[in-house]
Amino acid sequence: MRSFIKKDLLIFLRDWKELLTVLLLPIVLVVVLNFAFAGLFDSDDEVTMDLQLAVVNQDNESEVLGQLKERLVHDAAFEEQEAKAVAEAAGEIQPVQLLSDYLESDEVKEWVTVHHLEEKAAAEKVKEGDLDGMLIIPQGYTADSLYANITGEPPTSSLIYKIEEETTTSSALQQFIQGFIEQLNYQFAIQEITDGTGIEAALPNGGLEDIGTAYDFTMTQYFTIALGALFALFVVATVAMKTGVEIRDHIFNRILLANSHPMRFLIGKMAAAVCLIVLQILFVLLVSHFMMGVFPDRSFVFWVGILLMVVLLAFVLSGLAAIYTAVLLRMTSIDAANGIFMLATLLFGTLGGGFFPIYMLPDWLQQIGVWTPNGLFLAILTEWIQFENPSTIVRPSMFMIGFFFLFTFIGLALFPKRGKAQ
Amino acid sequence: MLETINLSKSFKGKKVVQDLNLYLADGESVGLLGPNGAGKSTTISMISTLIKPTSGRITMNGVNAIDKPGEIRRVSGVVPQELALYQELSAYENLKFFGSTYKLRGKELAKAIQQALEFVGLDDRKKDLVRTYSGGMKRRLNIASALLHRPQILILDEPTVGIDPQSRNHILEAVRALNQQEGTTVLYTSHYMEEVEQLCDRLYIMDHGKVIAAGTKEELLRILSTEDKIKVEVNKLDEAFVEQVKTIEGVYKIEVTELQLKIIAAKGTSLISKLVHLTEKHQIQLLNFHTETPSLEDVFLHLTGRTLRD
Ligand SMILES: Nc1ncnc2c1ncn2[C@@H]1O[C@H](COP(=O)(O)OP(=O)(O)OP(=O)(O)O)[C@@H](O)[C@H]1O
Ligand SMILES: [Mg+2]
Repeated sequence: MRSFIKKDLLIFLRDWKELLTVLLLPIVLVVVLNFAFAGLFDSDDEVTMDLQLAVVNQDNESEVLGQLKERLVHDAAFEEQEAKAVAEAAGEIQPVQLLSDYLESDEVKEWVTVHHLEEKAAAEKVKEGDLDGMLIIPQGYTADSLYANITGEPPTSSLIYKIEEETTTSSALQQFIQGFIEQLNYQFAIQEITDGTGIEAALPNGGLEDIGTAYDFTMTQYFTIALGALFALFVVATVAMKTGVEIRDHIFNRILLANSHPMRFLIGKMAAAVCLIVLQILFVLLVSHFMMGVFPDRSFVFWVGILLMVVLLAFVLSGLAAIYTAVLLRMTSIDAANGIFMLATLLFGTLGGGFFPIYMLPDWLQQIGVWTPNGLFLAILTEWIQFENPSTIVRPSMFMIGFFFLFTFIGLALFPKRGKAQ
Repeated sequence: MLETINLSKSFKGKKVVQDLNLYLADGESVGLLGPNGAGKSTTISMISTLIKPTSGRITMNGVNAIDKPGEIRRVSGVVPQELALYQELSAYENLKFFGSTYKLRGKELAKAIQQALEFVGLDDRKKDLVRTYSGGMKRRLNIASALLHRPQILILDEPTVGIDPQSRNHILEAVRALNQQEGTTVLYTSHYMEEVEQLCDRLYIMDHGKVIAAGTKEELLRILSTEDKIKVEVNKLDEAFVEQVKTIEGVYKIEVTELQLKIIAAKGTSLISKLVHLTEKHQIQLLNFHTETPSLEDVFLHLTGRTLRD
């Protein structure tokens, strides 16, 4: 069996054109796409921006404790004494202070210049285009958000973000504010007003204990894993194509005549596919990572999880290689078979989000995407990169294992009994 | 002993091999001769258990080899008509892989590879990729790949097509040596009469999927023992002369090339005296003439009315 795997690996590795394609092309694409999409989706790209933001504070912080206590007693039926204690404790958290700390932090200061203005002045400047946007902290906001936090009720007032027109800069600004909101992690909403029409957008809920456990999921990460998986599909198609050559060149016949069990040929293919895919994806992930810092500061466990998922995908795709091999042995035209494999690759690639971000597709298409091995792999890794929580990926991983068995089973079922259809 | 009984194969209703009976006794060297499309390769594929016959039987030492292909696969080495090699691997790597499919390992494998390489004279190029080989070298490696496990029966399907005379001789001699020194049974397919004449004790002539003659070279030539073949060279030729030669009793075939006549006639015809007489009558000078011993090529011509490479 070793000799079967070895020759498949050798043959693949000798094909330097193919090798360059599956190893370097995805990395080049990650870099290119990363630049192409820079600023559109990510806030941490290498584009310099100087965003002008007006902050209008209509909240009076000295009244917060009183307001909060009052509301707790009236609306939430707290005892006077209790309400006072709770309000004092909650008062330690000062959202407005946190916001200005955030805007003044080194990270954000680089990008955003804050102007403290009255609402009217701010609105004028935004209108004239002097400022990119304004953020209004409405009256009673602090008390309201603290109250909401204590009682778990939805907040009644929210930060208001106003821009004159939707531009790259203004949406980048919005991302900063959103970044703050995520940091703050209260249950509240931000109101975005474009051209005077207000849209209420609710932000993800989450308790305080979640702070710091969710990582950002960047475009670069998306492209890296999506292209890694896409090119793994190409690896399988190439392995199949080389199997076609073996059959066309009668080498498979020679193997049969050696009285070697044809199953060795099939299993050798699968094993070689696993090796090649693991090496290929790890290469793409690691080189991208070291070039562009795709996964900064991640733990050992994170990388172990990545490795496991890659191996899992490799197994699933080796099942696909088994199907391809069986089909090749059954079809008379090897060219037609290769055509089918290319189509399958493009289909899986597209549905699985290999060619463009899957979340840009309509919902129903996204649903289908998860039914492709590469799409599922992408979904699992997206989850893992953000939350690094093993329990959330166990179920989809089971599906992956299911895929492996299903594909292998189909491959074996299609595999001609005597090794060759006649 | 390997035997086929009424072996037939049809592809989509078209009969390609029909009621073929042949046998290979141990240690024999047997030739299978026939023009393109005669069904030689199809026959070889059936005998080597690669394809199933439509009807008929194949037995190996009395055991049905269609149900138990292992009987033949274990003891035979097949050199296919097409090159069955990995172009992207070196000769050594090819042999190593094929050797391993015969379950050869370690020292045993290394020795088998070395012997096979030396046998076909490729030892000095063993590290080069097959892709970079000449056609003849590829053919030689194609043969070496079938020898690793020292088969008792060696089946070769036109192993010398497109090879220069030198490589060809090398191959023929090598196969001959295997047959005579190691006692390997050989089934050799070709449409080159000379090769088969040189190599084989016995031969089968196939045409249109059927064996049309079989036997030792002598037996086959005896088919022509009733014929004379005469080659005549003259200083000039005219139609009338040729027409009159044709009317000589017993002459049944004439081939004219420039100033040469090839005449085939029944034995015992007083052909020569009649020819001399005719040349005088037409005032043609007879420059040269000789009687030829018939070859297997002539046997084929006689049986089918065509030459082997028509
Ligand atoms: N797989 C196939 N499907 C259909 N027809 C086939 C197939 N294989 C062979 N034939 C036909 O069978 C006939 C005999 O072919 P075969 O290859 O056995 O001839 P051959 O004697 O080996 O000729 P050559 O000297 O050219 O190698 C040919 O007419 C060929 O077209
Ligand atoms: Mg042939």
